Amino acid sequence: MNDIGEFTLLVALATALYGCVAYVMSARGNRIDLYLSADKTPFIVWACVTISSICLLRAFLTDDFSLQYVWAYSNRELDTFYKVSSFWGGQKGSLLFWALLLSSYMVVVYFQNRSKNLRVVPYAMAIILAILVFFLFLINFSTNPFERIPLPPEDGRGLNPLLQNYWMVIHPPTLYLGYVGFTVPFAFAVAALISKNLDDGWIRMTRKWTLISWFFLCMGNLFGASWAYVELGWGGYWAWDPVENAAFMPLLIATAYLHSVMIQEKKDMMKVWNMSLVLLTFAMTIFGTFITRSGLIQSVHTFDEATLGYYFLAFLFVVIVACTVLIISRLPLLKSENELDSFLSRESSFLFNNLVLLGIAFATFWGTIFPIISEAVRGVKITVGPPFYNQVNVPIGLALLALIGIGPVIAWRRATFSNLKKNFLKPVLVAIVLAVVLLPVIPLGSRTEIYTYITFVLCGFVLTSILTEFYKGTVSRMGLHEESVFGALATVTWRNKRRYGGYTVHIGVVLIFAGIAGSQAYGTHTEKHLQLGESFEIRGYTIRYEKLVAVEATNIKTRIIAQLAVERDGKHYWTGHPEKEFYKGQNQPVSEVDVLSTWKEDLYMILADFREDESATIKVYVNPMVSWMWTGGWIIAFGSMISMWPDRLEQRRRLERVRRQEQLFPAPAQE
Amino acid sequence: MGFIHFLELILVVAILLIVGIPLFGKLKLLKLVEKVDPGSDQYNHLLVRKEETLISIKELEFDFNTDKISEPDYKELRHKLEKEAEKILEHLDRLEQERRKNKSYKSA
Repeated sequence: MNDIGEFTLLVALATALYGCVAYVMSARGNRIDLYLSADKTPFIVWACVTISSICLLRAFLTDDFSLQYVWAYSNRELDTFYKVSSFWGGQKGSLLFWALLLSSYMVVVYFQNRSKNLRVVPYAMAIILAILVFFLFLINFSTNPFERIPLPPEDGRGLNPLLQNYWMVIHPPTLYLGYVGFTVPFAFAVAALISKNLDDGWIRMTRKWTLISWFFLCMGNLFGASWAYVELGWGGYWAWDPVENAAFMPLLIATAYLHSVMIQEKKDMMKVWNMSLVLLTFAMTIFGTFITRSGLIQSVHTFDEATLGYYFLAFLFVVIVACTVLIISRLPLLKSENELDSFLSRESSFLFNNLVLLGIAFATFWGTIFPIISEAVRGVKITVGPPFYNQVNVPIGLALLALIGIGPVIAWRRATFSNLKKNFLKPVLVAIVLAVVLLPVIPLGSRTEIYTYITFVLCGFVLTSILTEFYKGTVSRMGLHEESVFGALATVTWRNKRRYGGYTVHIGVVLIFAGIAGSQAYGTHTEKHLQLGESFEIRGYTIRYEKLVAVEATNIKTRIIAQLAVERDGKHYWTGHPEKEFYKGQNQPVSEVDVLSTWKEDLYMILADFREDESATIKVYVNPMVSWMWTGGWIIAFGSMISMWPDRLEQRRRLERVRRQEQLFPAPAQE
Repeated sequence: MGFIHFLELILVVAILLIVGIPLFGKLKLLKLVEKVDPGSDQYNHLLVRKEETLISIKELEFDFNTDKISEPDYKELRHKLEKEAEKILEHLDRLEQERRKNKSYKSA
């Protein structure tokens, strides 16, 4: 089976290369025979990569340690669940997984667009195939997951214990679905540039892809934060680590694009800007893989055998240069004849939002690459830590939060100042009341606390602004139709999925802002070395160390569990069981934290150390409002679902357009 | 030759056949895309603009109903959008007429 897996990878590479060339030649030479021949290649590539992936998965499930990759990331005792996730646990498998996702996306793109714009689609398919060629080349010749060990060992080295967490099974595929998904809008954007079909057809073709990719990338970031929180055992969820930043930057740029593209759809302007944002988002996804696989930057998230930096750097260089040249050469076709109706409009608030998002992305990018630059220029690697990011990004982030509240209140095209004042009244009043109420309650001793105070006030402002929009829409609907409140709310949301789905996403974002602010400013922690029966207090909780238990969980895993009884106001409140896990063959034990999560705060316990006399070092964090972030994440997921849901009206409009077009111009209708 | 190599050979031959067959027929004589009428792209673009302008009018109405815009501003913007829509519709009509005229001329 391994032979077949390896062989199909080679066949996939050869077929992708042929498909890429044949698609381009068919489009340039206007040859249907070449097109029909090329059109078979997406399936063949997908089938080959799928067979190869099945072979690798089979090797994991059957403990085939003749493969170096299986030996390095699995062992006989590993749960089947984690054997599956070991597939993408290392660099070799993760690249194959990337190729599998990209080829699967490519097949979906093929089915969606095969009868549509034949002037653009061949180029788009060629670009997706070209990107696949790059990945398949790496997999075949530089980091082959089917590399053999001449004398297969009896057992494997095992998966890094830190990766043996359910979030780690969910987080990478989610993130990859987002990363890889942005290839589709990128491919169509470049295809539109090459074929000079620069109306907003490519935007319509890829609108859903952009939303879906954004959704997965957003969820991937949040799942990653959850994993860090429960598995890394340092009490936090985000450390501005280079790899975290690498996943965050494309999300920021894609968010900017999702907003500015609405202006192009409505007003047929900002074509160069939108094109640049799509290309930049894709470039950032490649930059992210470069960071993770270059070995140039140290991070807990980078792969052990990160050696592919120069390949990714070269690929990134080619992408950026080619795209820049293409955009410049097409500038006359990208000119817009329209302009903004007024400075006081939702369009301009979106422009500000774009600048702010790009500002955060640039600051994050600078902080991420600064160690590489400093090492290259001065020979000294200067690490940029969280203080830099917080100092720069927090004020910009607050401006972004304010804009989230301002946007919904302003009308498209032109807002009337007097109405604006009236509409701002309620949100501003709520913000003022909140500011007055919170002032004596929360401390304002440090810059972080002041920022947090401003964040809470702005959260009140934004939530009121968004909820007022829901209220106004519902009332307006009820005024026109005899419907109940919930009926009107549901109808108005359903009929305007993009608008209200977007507002729902914004509510989730507000909760994330509040959660971050609360947990960063008002958290506390303590570390105590305790004998059995001893207790200590932290923020109203009395924590008593009751016992220490050793459990042989499996042949390779031993769990040392501390039992901690928590009392509040003299009553038993909860019993926590933080533990340390020891894996055979691994030098470092892994901390498994125990968390009691409520809407107000998380009680987060770590067994930091223990001794033979059963005394133990216990670390306890009280992290306020962390659950707000996860709730915000689920609300974002819900809002994204609303926005992504197929719109029957839009489909009807599209069909009508195609019908009229076909009636008048019998050639295949252009989307 | 082992079984695996035989399978590999079958796979390669099958792929060559699937990919190669379209290249050896009469398809060479056909074009992938017929010469596109320059009016076709323009027509499609105008159809899209018409939709977007009508959506903008609906949204403007919504903004007016939810008190985001004053009556004079609403009227002015609505007038502007209606003019825009009218222009697009006229342009579409003109293109349709021209196209039909060309068609009937060709068939005659």
